Amino acid sequence: MADAKIKPFRFMESAVLLLATGIRAQTLRELYAGLKQVDDSSIYFHFWGRMVRPHISESEFNNDFASWINSSLRDFKLAEALGAINPVKFQNFDDIRNVILDILDKRLENDDFLSWKKADRDFHFIACKKLVFDTGTEAASLEEFPDAVRNCSRESFFYHFIDGRRRSPECKDDFTLWLEQFPEESASLRKRLKNVDSYLFSLSELKAQVLSIIDDWKAGKGGMM
Amino acid sequence: MSEMLNKYAEIIGSAAMDSLVRVADRLKGKKIVHVNSTRSGGGVAEILSSMIPLSKELGLDVSWEVIEGDESFFNCTKMMHNTLQGMPGVLSDRQKETYLDTVRRNAEKLKDILGDADYVFIHDPQPAALIHSFPKRKGKWVWRCHIDVSAPNKSVWKFIKEQVSAYDASVFSLPDFAQKLPHPQFLITPSIDPLSEKNIPLERDEIEKTYNDLGIPMDKPIVLQVSRFDKFKDPLGVIESYRIIKEHMDIRLVMAGGEADDDPEALEILREVEDAAKGDPDISILMLPSDSHRTINALQSGADVVMQKSIREGFGLTVTEAMWKNKAVIGGNVGGIRLQVINRFNGFRVRTPEGAAIRTRYLLSHPWKRERMGKNAREYVLENFLITGHLKRYITMLISLDLKEGPWERWF
Repeated sequence: MADAKIKPFRFMESAVLLLATGIRAQTLRELYAGLKQVDDSSIYFHFWGRMVRPHISESEFNNDFASWINSSLRDFKLAEALGAINPVKFQNFDDIRNVILDILDKRLENDDFLSWKKADRDFHFIACKKLVFDTGTEAASLEEFPDAVRNCSRESFFYHFIDGRRRSPECKDDFTLWLEQFPEESASLRKRLKNVDSYLFSLSELKAQVLSIIDDWKAGKGGMM
Repeated sequence: MSEMLNKYAEIIGSAAMDSLVRVADRLKGKKIVHVNSTRSGGGVAEILSSMIPLSKELGLDVSWEVIEGDESFFNCTKMMHNTLQGMPGVLSDRQKETYLDTVRRNAEKLKDILGDADYVFIHDPQPAALIHSFPKRKGKWVWRCHIDVSAPNKSVWKFIKEQVSAYDASVFSLPDFAQKLPHPQFLITPSIDPLSEKNIPLERDEIEKTYNDLGIPMDKPIVLQVSRFDKFKDPLGVIESYRIIKEHMDIRLVMAGGEADDDPEALEILREVEDAAKGDPDISILMLPSDSHRTINALQSGADVVMQKSIREGFGLTVTEAMWKNKAVIGGNVGGIRLQVINRFNGFRVRTPEGAAIRTRYLLSHPWKRERMGKNAREYVLENFLITGHLKRYITMLISLDLKEGPWERWF
């Protein structure tokens, strides 16, 4: 039975449309110049959009800049430095952009072979449009929540769990924020959701992992229910 | 939900299907028209053969028109196709005239249906100039370029650019293919239909019977390339690769190509391939009718390794088809294949016949790795390259074209 005081969880889903920008880089300097030109949606795409386009979970890096520097420029140290950026910690896209530019700037100061080396493949800056649709589906109670997550689409899961962490000033996914209405019952679940590293899995694997955590909690293995 | 939608839902999951139904609802009542240059043969026709019925099942008002032309028109468009993919050549004034005249005649025939449409998809260069005959068009027009135009012949691209600049948007398969155009360029990958004759699961008996009927004994490992007989698919490179493999292991090579109404060069290339095979009994060269979908399915399902050694590729649908059948694929390191085949995950990307040979030997010698890569391949297609996701991206793009300028993130 739904409690009148409980705000239901409303499922949205996002569609990320990819757009060519025509801006490409063959060298670190060109990557630096491109980063200064592209708009926020491009920064978003190269960190978050990769989850909704063909990619495999074996990818070591959480952003396309690091992946490209690793595979096409083979500057492994720089790739690791860029791969360590946690984008959800920043307030806006310009802050992320500036951190990348700072790292690249320092690297370019060396002016050695790797800083002007031509890459095996061009880096293409991709922009995007993100349309978010209301699915009309709700979970009105804690009891309805597990099945509602199970039945939500990949795009809905992406929007709430991955993109949600970006939108929240406290880096919390939408499920966690909603579960805070049930402080005691959901404490262990929220703790486990917080520990899920959203960059190490494909979207399907991530959803399977989150569902497994919810199922464990529901079965009383890891929670108070 | 209809029987067809239920069948798709069994494959992609009910959540994904519900999501597609919801987004399609937003275009109900709008007229959508697709235009291309052939109803059978080749990837575009195959995609549309699946996308149109699926769109209709979702309640969309959609139709598919095919432009008509004579031999000189298709010779000209084949040349466009080749030169846009980087081959040398120049379009003569006479060829341009033939092209524009033919397209204008088609525009006259299609005047009512295209003039009245809310959204028009024009596929590839053949019908691209249609837009000029509709200066007062009502709807949004999208040019869908399926070919690899990453390094086009400049003079031919200049001519095509004059045709496509007026569109409201274009769609390319990869960012490498995008060009300087005065409108948004969306990136959407093509797809296969898991319910089509070409991709449904087949019984082992049927697979064996097909091979038997085609005179191909299944007594040795089978390496297969399915593609049009086209220079860009490098059929001669495949034979070279086969000869290298043969020095180490006994295999059969099957090269199966289909007929396409809009490809006048295919027979010429087929002859070159037959000459290169020199009557080797372990090489089977098949020119199949364009509707041999079930035969192709059986060939792919029965192959041990599938190759797509293209040297240019917009997007290899045959790669996706093989991946869907749990096959690790050896693909040329070009175009869309770079997005489809991930080294060691679901196959290998190669640059030379020698590279294709060593990877084939590796896969044939490591059956458990081949099996694991094949499983990954199917999963990868399920998540990324099925017709349902493809259609959803088209619909979302059309919705976005109707939006006024605004932020890149929009809530509905």
